[in-house]
Order: sequence, then C-alpha cells, then structure tokens
Amino acid sequence: MNKTISTNIIRAIILFLAQIIIFKQITFSLGGLAFIHFLIYPMVILLMPIKTPRSVLLISAFVFGMALDMFYDSIGIHTAALVFTAYIRNLVIAFIEPIEGYNMVDVPTIKVMGIGWFVTYTSILLLFHIFIYFSIEAFSFVYIFEIFLNSIFSFIVSFMVIIILQFLLRTKY
Amino acid sequence: MYNVIQLIVKYGAHLLFVVLQVICFSLIINYNKAQKDIFINSSNVFSGKIADLQDKILQFANLKEQNDSLMRENANLIENIIKIEYSSDNIPDSDTLLNQYRLIPSNIINSTIHLSNNHFTLNRGSRHGIQPDMGVIASHKGLVGVVRNVSENFAHVISLLHSQTKISCAVKGRKGHGTLVWKDMDPLRMNLESLPKHEFIATGDTVITSGYSTMFPKGLLIGKIEKFSIPSGSNSYSIKVKLFNDLTNSEYAYVIKNKLGSEQLSLEKEVANE
Repeated sequence: MNKTISTNIIRAIILFLAQIIIFKQITFSLGGLAFIHFLIYPMVILLMPIKTPRSVLLISAFVFGMALDMFYDSIGIHTAALVFTAYIRNLVIAFIEPIEGYNMVDVPTIKVMGIGWFVTYTSILLLFHIFIYFSIEAFSFVYIFEIFLNSIFSFIVSFMVIIILQFLLRTKY
Repeated sequence: MYNVIQLIVKYGAHLLFVVLQVICFSLIINYNKAQKDIFINSSNVFSGKIADLQDKILQFANLKEQNDSLMRENANLIENIIKIEYSSDNIPDSDTLLNQYRLIPSNIINSTIHLSNNHFTLNRGSRHGIQPDMGVIASHKGLVGVVRNVSENFAHVISLLHSQTKISCAVKGRKGHGTLVWKDMDPLRMNLESLPKHEFIATGDTVITSGYSTMFPKGLLIGKIEKFSIPSGSNSYSIKVKLFNDLTNSEYAYVIKNKLGSEQLSLEKEVANE
C-alpha cells in the first residue's frame, strides 16, 4: 500500500514537471481557428488505484490543480476542471465495469485492464476534463463553438500523448 | 449527532466536491480578469432583466397614480400657457390677473355624443371647488363644455355639442369676435357666427376663445376655419370650424376656476339692473 502511495506521488511530481516544463510550452494555435493545449496531467487522477475513495481523489485533484494553476497563472481554472474529473471518475469506472468486476488492487493501466478498457476510460474522462477546462476558461457559452473546437483538437493530441506514455512507461502500481 | 456524522460519512465526498468547486470558482472569479469581467457582466444582464421586469410590473400598478400626477402637471402647464397669453398682451401685468385662473383635473366618467343636446359627467364636484358656469377644457387645444350642475362629488357639464352652446370666440391674429354654436350634428365641426363681414379672415385661421366671458380665459385654441361664406343679406360671416380635439373620445378634462369671475359677474349685473 505504501508503495502505491509513493508511486502515485512520484508520478504526480513527474507529470507536474512534464506539464509545466514541456507541454505548457508547446501550446500552439491551429491557424487561428483553435488553440491546442496538451493536457496530460489528468493522468494523475486517472491512474490512481480503482478503489481509491472519492474524497482522496478530490483532495489530491485540488492540491495538484492549485499547484498547476500557479504556474499557468490561471488560479482555479485547472483546479475546477480536475476536481470535476476526480468527482466523476468513480462514476465512469462503475459505468464501464467489466463483467468479472474489479480486484481490490487493480490499477487502471493498459497493462492491468487491457487496451480496450483503458481507451474507453481515458477518452471519456479526458474529454470531460478538457471540455470543462475550456468552458471555464471561456466562462460563457457565447463561445460554445470555440469551446467545442478547442476541446476536440486538444483532446486528440492529449489522448495520443497519454496512450504513447502508457506504452513507454509501464508502471506496476 | 450520530445521524449527522453518518450523513457526513455517506455524502462526505459529494460535499467535499461542492466545497472544492465553490472554492475554485470564487478563486477564478476573484483572480482572473477575463472571467471576472464575464461574471460581472452576465450578473448585470440578469439583474438588469429582473429589475426591468419589476419596473414594468410596478409601473402597471402605478399607472393610475402616474396618470393623476401627469394630469396635475398638465393643469399647471395649461395655467402657465394662459398666464403667458396674458402677459404677452399689452394689458398691464398684475399678479392677481396672472393667477386668475386655476385648473381642476378630472375624469370624464359619462358622456353622450350623438344627441342634439349632449352632456358630460365629471368625477369632481363642489368638494373639489367646482361651481356652475365654469368652463371645461380637454387640454390647451380644445374646449369641452360648461358646468351646469354640481353635486358634492360630480359635475354635470353641457357639452360644446349642445344646441344652447354659445361661446364667445375670436380669430387669432384678426380683429372682431363671434359666437361659437353647434348646428350640424357633426361632433367634429362647429359654426362661428356673428363675426362681422367687414373683418378679413381666411381658411386655415385658428379660432381661439376671446376671453370676453368669465368661463374661458383668452387664447385657448378651439379649431381651424374650414370654410366660410357670406349669406346674402347677412351682416356677418357663416364660418365652419373644425375642432382640434375629438370630443367623442375625450377621457380627461380640466375645469377652469376663474377666481375673479364672481366679481366680474356681480359688477356686470349691477350695470344690467340699472
């Protein structure tokens, strides 16, 4: 159990650094139509063990989001989106539960749950996260078209990066 | 107490979610300029809409009071117009003369139009200072009639459209004066009689009150000359006047109180008795 916690903390720190050092810099615009953001940090919440209590998810999402927002100069925006993602994570997990159910020690990675389950799981939560993020950033549904456009393009690139990272770094916990 | 703890254990995560989101949004609104602007603006839009709706409802409820206050205001304005009419004259000004006329606003609550002798009823009476033989006007443009009987709360008015109506009037900018009578059963037109035929008039001239009676002050607009002719053998014009106001749909009326009217009448009566 201690190993799980330390793995998650180390993963959070690595993802945090990767997000603010690398992925924050390669935000670019797609011909003025859409802005592509690489948002890979939701993996911190996504990869926590399946049976993690919801309150733990929420608090870690809040802490992680605040730390991220300080570097993004957008206090509260990433946090709100990440807290929301953490809140609906367990609902999504219950929704896409395999027939044989989950084990107590299961971790939602490709290695443990299989690629089909992982793709479903990640795409649902990541899409929610990115959509919420852009909605809060725009803060008004006047910009609904831009929100959708940004969400879809950012989702595609972020999702690809997350899947590649999953194949590169196969953690046990 | 145990129940409360159980409730928190059961729904703690949901509560935590709500609390954290509230914190996030308050941070977003307080520390991000773009979001703050949008928040303030849309809250303005909502509160503005609500205030607007409230205003509409209250306005509807206040219509009657507003109407009354507007009528009082109108009464003051018409009084002022009468004053100006007098002060621009060559008659030497005096305060008593300028404040000679006061207007009492009232509503027409009953009226007849299509009889040969028409009447109005006003919802103000002797309690409000109305007495018989006072003039009644609809606005600065247009007479209504003359008060005949007064009860405590109501006044009975002889309409202009009455076979006995005789109102002393003049043509604006011309000399001479005549009498306004109603002959043709047309609620929009009256006849101006006994204006001497040696005076010059033209169609389109404005007919005003002459101020020779105690009922109406000088200069109230009545109507326009539509056509005129000189009947053979007559010494005066036969003039058709188109009224400015439409008596068929008048709702409001002002009763003119002439403060010096009784003085003038008693003086004239003394002369007549000699």
